[in-house]
Amino acid sequence: MEDEVLIIENLEKIYAGGVHAVRGVSFKVRKGESVAIIGSSGSGKSTVLRCINRLIEPTMGTIKLNEEVINNPLADVNEIRSKIGMVFQSFELFSHLKVLENITLGLRYVRGMNKEDAEKIALEVLERVDMLDRIDAYPGNLSGGQKQRVAIARSLAMHPEVILFDEPTSALDPELIGSVLQTIRGLADEGMTMVIVTHEINFARDVADRIIYMDKGIIAEEGPSEIIENPKTERLKEFLSAMDDE
Amino acid sequence: MLSKEDRILSWYKIPKSSRILLIATTLIFIFLTPNLAEGYESTWNKIEIDSTNDYNAAVIDSNEDAWVFGDNGIIIHGEKLTNWSIIDSPTNEDILTADSNDYMVAAAGTNGTVIYKEVLSNEWIKKNIDAQTKINSIAINNMNEIIIVTDFGGIQILREGEWSEIDSLTLEDLYHITFENERGLIAGSSGLILGSEDNGLTWETRETPETISESEIISIGYYKTNRAYAITSDGQILKSTQEALTTTVGYSWSIKEIESENYSTSLNVNLTSLEILSTTKILLTGENGYVALSKDGGNIVTPQLFPDEFDNQKINDVAMINAFRGIIVGNDGNIFYTENGGENNPVGFEVVDFNDFNEFVDFTKDNLLEGLKATMKIVLIGILLGFFLGIVLAMCKTAPTTLKQMIESDLEKTLILFWLVIPVSILSTRGSGIGIGIFTFLAIIGVTILVDYYINKNKTEKEGFLGIQIPNNHRNKVIKILGLSLLIGIPISEEWGFEGGAELIYSALNNFHDFQLGSDTPKLSAQLGYIFAPIGDPIAFFRLIIGIGLTYLGVLFITANGSYSKKRFFAGKLFLLIIVWSIILTELFIGFDLNNFNLSIASLMKYLFFLGMGLFMTRRIIPELSWKNLEPNEFNITIDPWRLRPLNSLATLYTDFFRNTPLLVQFMFIHFGIQLGKHIQNIGIDVTNDLTIISSYLGPFDSIFAPMIDYVSDSLFGPGKRSYLSAIFALGLNSAAYQCETIRGAIAAIPSGQMEAGRSIGLTYMGTMRLIILPQAIRICIPPLGNEMVNLVLNSSLASVIAYTELTRQGKLVVAITFQIFWTWGMVMIAYFVVTWTLALLLRRLEEKTRIPGLGISGGN
Ligand SMILES: Nc1ncnc2c1ncn2[C@@H]1O[C@H](COP(=O)(O)OP(=O)(O)OP(=O)(O)O)[C@@H](O)[C@H]1O
Ligand SMILES: [Mg+2]
Repeated sequence: MEDEVLIIENLEKIYAGGVHAVRGVSFKVRKGESVAIIGSSGSGKSTVLRCINRLIEPTMGTIKLNEEVINNPLADVNEIRSKIGMVFQSFELFSHLKVLENITLGLRYVRGMNKEDAEKIALEVLERVDMLDRIDAYPGNLSGGQKQRVAIARSLAMHPEVILFDEPTSALDPELIGSVLQTIRGLADEGMTMVIVTHEINFARDVADRIIYMDKGIIAEEGPSEIIENPKTERLKEFLSAMDDE
Repeated sequence: MLSKEDRILSWYKIPKSSRILLIATTLIFIFLTPNLAEGYESTWNKIEIDSTNDYNAAVIDSNEDAWVFGDNGIIIHGEKLTNWSIIDSPTNEDILTADSNDYMVAAAGTNGTVIYKEVLSNEWIKKNIDAQTKINSIAINNMNEIIIVTDFGGIQILREGEWSEIDSLTLEDLYHITFENERGLIAGSSGLILGSEDNGLTWETRETPETISESEIISIGYYKTNRAYAITSDGQILKSTQEALTTTVGYSWSIKEIESENYSTSLNVNLTSLEILSTTKILLTGENGYVALSKDGGNIVTPQLFPDEFDNQKINDVAMINAFRGIIVGNDGNIFYTENGGENNPVGFEVVDFNDFNEFVDFTKDNLLEGLKATMKIVLIGILLGFFLGIVLAMCKTAPTTLKQMIESDLEKTLILFWLVIPVSILSTRGSGIGIGIFTFLAIIGVTILVDYYINKNKTEKEGFLGIQIPNNHRNKVIKILGLSLLIGIPISEEWGFEGGAELIYSALNNFHDFQLGSDTPKLSAQLGYIFAPIGDPIAFFRLIIGIGLTYLGVLFITANGSYSKKRFFAGKLFLLIIVWSIILTELFIGFDLNNFNLSIASLMKYLFFLGMGLFMTRRIIPELSWKNLEPNEFNITIDPWRLRPLNSLATLYTDFFRNTPLLVQFMFIHFGIQLGKHIQNIGIDVTNDLTIISSYLGPFDSIFAPMIDYVSDSLFGPGKRSYLSAIFALGLNSAAYQCETIRGAIAAIPSGQMEAGRSIGLTYMGTMRLIILPQAIRICIPPLGNEMVNLVLNSSLASVIAYTELTRQGKLVVAITFQIFWTWGMVMIAYFVVTWTLALLLRRLEEKTRIPGLGISGGN
């Protein structure tokens, strides 16, 4: 179809130690769609996500961004990455830079903007994540939720085709999770294309257009968010009930 | 307390750019400051005698009386060098040469004139030779016989009152003859040196360098029996040392590379005479009032001041009683006397009472200050060099670039890098030294990166490197060809070319011929004594290592099949077996001589024992030994060669080398061994000469640039700067190894997520390093880096071993003059303390300034 931003075909990853983490995963993400990947720990969710922006080199399979194969050794990996945002579980803000500088860095050194233009965009995205009041703070002095919102703003500033979230709330205290999820939900409403790995089942059901359930390196079940209510496979059922017990 | 903003004189009120500029200029100033040299005066004093004849020769006899001879037979007697008078001469001919020994004084000149007198008598005896020729030089041998030399190879000896000719076997003009005990030397035209071991009865030609075969050697002399020097009329210095215990000095001669301003083998002065004051201290004279002194056997020749009004006099001869007192004589009745070996005197020098602390300080403060300044110079530049090189090394060590990546996605870059290696290997095999090679290499890499940047600047699509992209279907072939050329090399012309791994190994092994395998001591244990024989030749050793590396890469690339993960080498147990068996076989067959082989019970036992031992060990290492189950998995170490990280390997080699050898030895190896200072000086002089030429095209600006270039050239690459340059590099290179490890540790302490975050917003690896990882890592490692820098300051005292006059060496010199051990070393220690302490304070402040709020535990808030 025309509006498929991301196409993943037969993705396989075998780590150097011999761990076969991903065993043939294929899925597509359409423009404006948000896809949630759920699954038990060690099922290969992060691996898939990292393969997409080539933080990990896939062992096999193809990844296409806007019809273009991006996992070939001759492709310009930096160019590709600047079109794919990534939000990490542990925020990974640049701790020696103030909030504003964290966001302008990519704009200035990747996009080659001057300082003023970059700051204009930075202020815009900081407003979207509601962090305008702390632009001069260092990351070390922010709360976890604030850090993650700045990290989201950092990805947003680059105007990515798609943003990848790797458990954006797992490192946060329960009371801080809300604000981050709120921000992501806002992005979904604005029509941002997103792939979200999460353990927040309810959030996945609310926000995601589609849910992918991964187990032992393969996609065990895939479908609209309704599959959370009516899981077809035993494995997803077990997984969901295990999550409910927590 | 005033806040920063309120202070009138605040460093932070200066704009940031000006601050950097200020620091930079200060550094440049310190770097370029010349050594204290104001106020010197000549120590030559004119002796007033009522005569204006040209004086040609001077000697001092065993009574310490001076004899000066000149045109028209003039003879001047300087009693104890103080009481000067003209005496009656037995001849009217010009006297050109003279010599003296314990017993007599002799002189000779035009028309075969020879005169002599015994030291104890006052009577000059005339004993002309028959031929009416000009006598160029006269000498007295160990048996008190007079020998003279003339043009066209003439040698005559006066024995038992009769002149007799000696066959010189040459028709060259002979200019100078000299004796030390029974050994004699004669210098002549066309670079000729004759030597005699039997008081001048027979002479044979001695070996002199090709390059002086056009020059006239006009003066030659021994210092005792262990050193000899000679000079040519066109300003070159020759030296002869004793080569082995069995031969004597004077057999083979080498030409000195004089560290003069224009770096050549010539002083570009018409020299006239040479006087050797010690094994390394020589005094030279020449036309136009030239008197120069070298204290290091002719490496550095420093012209000495001469009284102004006599600047243009031609000086003809020198005569010294000892290293300090003596005279020089010249045209127009000039005789000059020195008590200071002719060396310039600092103005205001006076004998002071060093027991008085004030006097002591007055006298030594300049020395110590100069020493401190010299220390600061090498320390500051050394720190900078060490720091930047340290960062580069640390980045190499942490670089993820694998061979696979270099071949798979960066093949274009790899190829260009390889083509860059060729000019470097050519340059460094030309004997011009490693320096030029390295500099060219860096320069070309810099230019290449710039060109690539401009080619690809405005392109969104990556197009290979430098716009070159090898098509996919040819990449594998290119890799194989690259492998082949790494293995067998690329010959470019008969002399030059890139030597491949195979040739390097072959030639290195050739140099290792001296394994001493055929010696009388066939035991391996005894062979250990020869462990330095195989690795004794450092160049062959390095060639072997590089050769093995290149061969490995070559084979790897040739066998590349397009998928770079399958290829694995299996080692481990097999390697262990090879070692065991090579030890056993060496033990058995060293000294093995087929022609002289007798099988005794004892030797049979030995052979059986070692073979049994070998088989036993083999079974222990591979218990289930049988060719069938010799599966690769048995050999428990597998290496995937494609995962090798070349940058990391090189940097590791560097740091391991520098951290596992003593700094003192590094100093000596760098300065004396590879003569880095000399090479850099040569490069510097070449470059500044070129700059001068360029500047001369700039018309009016030349008058601005030329002095600047001169100044920089002088203060960096001038005479005597070799040890300075070597010291900077020895300190910097050593410190880089340690700083590298510190910085690497700090980089390792940064969470890997920071790199991922940087890369995921599209920064390049280097960009992430520069903007994200290093700024954080450097902050972490300021305290340990401070340690390294303090260490560097303290280590700088080792520069004294390569004769760089820094603080410690100045301390030694001051002690040698003043004998005030306590005060001197005390002051030196305080000076070091002040420097390192200031450094530590500055770093502490830097640490505070750069601390990131909310990060790390610092005890502050
Ligand atoms: N760098 C690595 N080297 C080797 N094995 C790895 C590496 N990273 C992950 N693995 C392994 O790969 C498998 C999948 O890991 P992955 O991180 O993708 O799981 P995940 O689904 O993200 O789990 P979680 O929900 O706990 O984050 C795991 O078994 C893990 O141990
Ligand atoms: Mg994960």
